[in-house]
Amino acid sequence: METRLFSQAGGSGVSMGRVMAEDAFEAVVGAHHAEIRRYLLRVTARASDADDLSQETFLRAFRAYRALPPGANVRAWLFTIATNLGRNHFRAQSRRRRAYAAVALEAPAGAPDRTDGRVLADEARVRVEQVIGGLPEKQRLAFIMRKMHELDYAEIGTSLRCSEESARAHVFQALRKIRKGLDRELSAETGARP
Amino acid sequence: MSKMPASCREIEPHLLASAMGEAAPDAVERVRTHVDGCRECREELARYRTVDGMVDSLRRSPRPDDDATLARAQLTSRLADLRSRMVTFGIFPSPLGPLLIGRSEMGVALVQYLPASGSLTGRVRRLLGDEAVEDVAATEGLRAELIEYIEGRRARLAWPLDPRRMRSDFQRRVLAATAALPYGAVTSYSGIAARIGAPSAVRSVAQALRWNPLPIVIPCHRVIGSTGDLVGYAGKRVELKQRLLAVEGVNARPAGHHDFKVHREAMYTLMNGEVEYCLPTCGSLAERSLSELTLFGTRERAEAAGFGPCSSCRPDLHPLPA
Repeated sequence: METRLFSQAGGSGVSMGRVMAEDAFEAVVGAHHAEIRRYLLRVTARASDADDLSQETFLRAFRAYRALPPGANVRAWLFTIATNLGRNHFRAQSRRRRAYAAVALEAPAGAPDRTDGRVLADEARVRVEQVIGGLPEKQRLAFIMRKMHELDYAEIGTSLRCSEESARAHVFQALRKIRKGLDRELSAETGARP
Repeated sequence: MSKMPASCREIEPHLLASAMGEAAPDAVERVRTHVDGCRECREELARYRTVDGMVDSLRRSPRPDDDATLARAQLTSRLADLRSRMVTFGIFPSPLGPLLIGRSEMGVALVQYLPASGSLTGRVRRLLGDEAVEDVAATEGLRAELIEYIEGRRARLAWPLDPRRMRSDFQRRVLAATAALPYGAVTSYSGIAARIGAPSAVRSVAQALRWNPLPIVIPCHRVIGSTGDLVGYAGKRVELKQRLLAVEGVNARPAGHHDFKVHREAMYTLMNGEVEYCLPTCGSLAERSLSELTLFGTRERAEAAGFGPCSSCRPDLHPLPA
């Protein structure tokens, strides 16, 4: 009501810059929120954490968005924010990880309905998830960013505040550990000795 | 592993890269040559390829709880809340000293005169809160228009305003009545009190204008004391009021220490509610309280505000001396 007292005709011109910035951020949310939440779901293994942290990622991004240089890699930038939030989250709640490991071991019981034909595939999937879940934090984050979200090593390095080479080393080390962790499944599958 | 031959140890990283499909062509070739002659590594490459395939199928398989709908809806609502609280601001020099303009998504929320020196960070935080973001580009259009206004090249700031920093409904009424004063016109605090139907609330009106969050935009400089003294502005910076009025064609002359006075006998005069403006000597105008009048420095301003010359005193034929 009171706004009307002050509003004058033809005053919309000055609002344009701001409105466009907001539309641009809407587009950023539309383009990336689902993926960032999926990333955080893989990182935290909890839907409620992925919900909270994905929202927090975009609230932080919104505050900083106008300072982002034109042409910046918005997707990689969002992964950096999400990664920082994920790591803080783990630091603050280190017990979570132990809980995760416990949950992951019981994961088949918690998995949704599935047909018999998919049992084998799902068991392998759960096993791979378990092994990834047990990796050291940086290796796990680097591996998820590289193999699940196809970020390049420079982007992963930025997210983890390390060099491109270190990022690559984290991914390779993760792969070695996963390969070892899946020794039994692999020998069954390939028929080769471990 | 530790007994692995040197050639196998050396090829191992390339073997991993190869299995992941990210090795350079020459490395792929080296791996191929090596595994042709090394069964261990050939099997290892096959295992890594299997791992990569499993990881890839994990990437492609939908997760049961991969539904962002709820989080997205909550995010939209939290962003809307954040936006409504967020103010972007710019600080820039002006002929009246450093000025701050703050805007929210509703409109311009704050204009402030800043001290010419000293740290601004704390002051800005106090004025705007923690969600304030400096964004010169977002306030550039406003800055340009405000400078034009201060320099007399623009008579109107047609900005959408954010009234949330106004302290009360009373203050909003005072500021709305003040915003309705035409360019180049002045009235008294009691004149504003009369306009909002609270003729005895002169002191409250003065307080409300003292905390005007949008000086210049809401022209509290057009409200003066009942004797014509400018009285006060932006703390003790009454000279800013004099300059803003001078730009609009209202001449206030120095009167005593740190004050200026608008002389009624030098102003075209409008009896509130009338449609014609007069010479200050017309009829009984000289005996009227300033609260009943609106004064204009020039005929042009009175006419631009929609008033015609009085048909009896004929200010158009007998203009006041400039």
